[in-house]
Amino acid sequence: MNRSVSNSLREYARGMAGGLMFSLPLLYTMEVWWAGFVAEPMRLVLYVAAVFVLLLGYNHYVGLHQEASRWEVVIDSVEEMGLGLIVATVVLFLLGQIETDHTVFEAVGKIVIEAMTVAIGISIGTSQLGGSDEGEKRSAQSSAKNDATFGGQIALAGCGAVLFASNVAPTEEILMIATESHLGKLLGIISLSLALATVILYYIEFTGSARLRGPGHGLTNVIMGTVISYAVALVVSAAILWFFGRFDDVALLTCIAQTVVLGLAATLGSSAGRLLLQ
Amino acid sequence: MKKIEKNWLEWVVFGVSAALIATVIGFLAYETVTMGDALPDIQLQTGTPEARTGYFAVPVRVTNKGDQTAEGVHIEVVLKTGGDEEHSDIEVAFLPRRGAREAWVTFKSDPAAGMLEARVLGYEKP
Repeated sequence: MNRSVSNSLREYARGMAGGLMFSLPLLYTMEVWWAGFVAEPMRLVLYVAAVFVLLLGYNHYVGLHQEASRWEVVIDSVEEMGLGLIVATVVLFLLGQIETDHTVFEAVGKIVIEAMTVAIGISIGTSQLGGSDEGEKRSAQSSAKNDATFGGQIALAGCGAVLFASNVAPTEEILMIATESHLGKLLGIISLSLALATVILYYIEFTGSARLRGPGHGLTNVIMGTVISYAVALVVSAAILWFFGRFDDVALLTCIAQTVVLGLAATLGSSAGRLLLQ
Repeated sequence: MKKIEKNWLEWVVFGVSAALIATVIGFLAYETVTMGDALPDIQLQTGTPEARTGYFAVPVRVTNKGDQTAEGVHIEVVLKTGGDEEHSDIEVAFLPRRGAREAWVTFKSDPAAGMLEARVLGYEKP
């Protein structure tokens, strides 16, 4: 059955509101604007591709239209990305970051880099902030559909990690903390990250954690879940840092230190994401 | 395959989105192919001095002809009047590749009476 025009209009508006909520810190951060024109165009293309894959994963496993076919998932992802570009352009223009005397590349770079987080926000906003009656119907369906499929969990963890980590990744502070903290503190950060992942996933009972625990949960299960969450967090952190040029001309130890420092934020996203973003 | 059911608004949004993404990717791909790797090459152009309250402002157009962005571009402008020299300087936080920025330096004496010399003192890789 076709959705009515007013319904889909409401859906887009909901998505854009969600997109702004999740990405506003980034739109207001100057390091992100700078990263937009400092990055080589090739990196921006890769970033767009990576985010598109994340959107596909998210829409496939959680997206609004549960009964969606493969093509509808692609169409939804394209729409979210397009809306992200429009929202980012409008906000950046209002913030005075797109001026007529700037080069096209500068404007496009800024827009693209901001639009990707907006797009993830739109995707999550559309499906999470939905009306209650719709939402209840959906949660009944979705518990059947994505009952802890491995790929789905990874996609969700990835989305959550990107959402949390990208807010702090472009700031100078990550590099500062990474170069100033010595090995003991880094190990401490790793332990804290792992502890947080365990606690969020298996102890404090966020909505949805019961399903993850499953009937036969043992120590192996807990360790597996924690390790997967942290691994996703580290991979996402490293990718985002590389994207923002934080690995250029930097010693290996500093790269790892930065990944660990950012990994703490990403872990919050990846473990909470697996529970909340569905 | 199941028929895709969408109303006109959804098709419009999809069409616009697809066109936008294609344009952006196309533009970035074009930039990748055409953009070289030249180091920042900064050119300065001073404009006509304007009198302000108690000082004179000289517009400086800073252009980066290179393919890499320069950070913290420090610019010095010297006003030579007869035997006297008056120094003024300005720092541009970021100068994007092939981009330009507008800045002003100020002097106490009227630059019209002398000669202006602008040069880049230094900059760093972002």
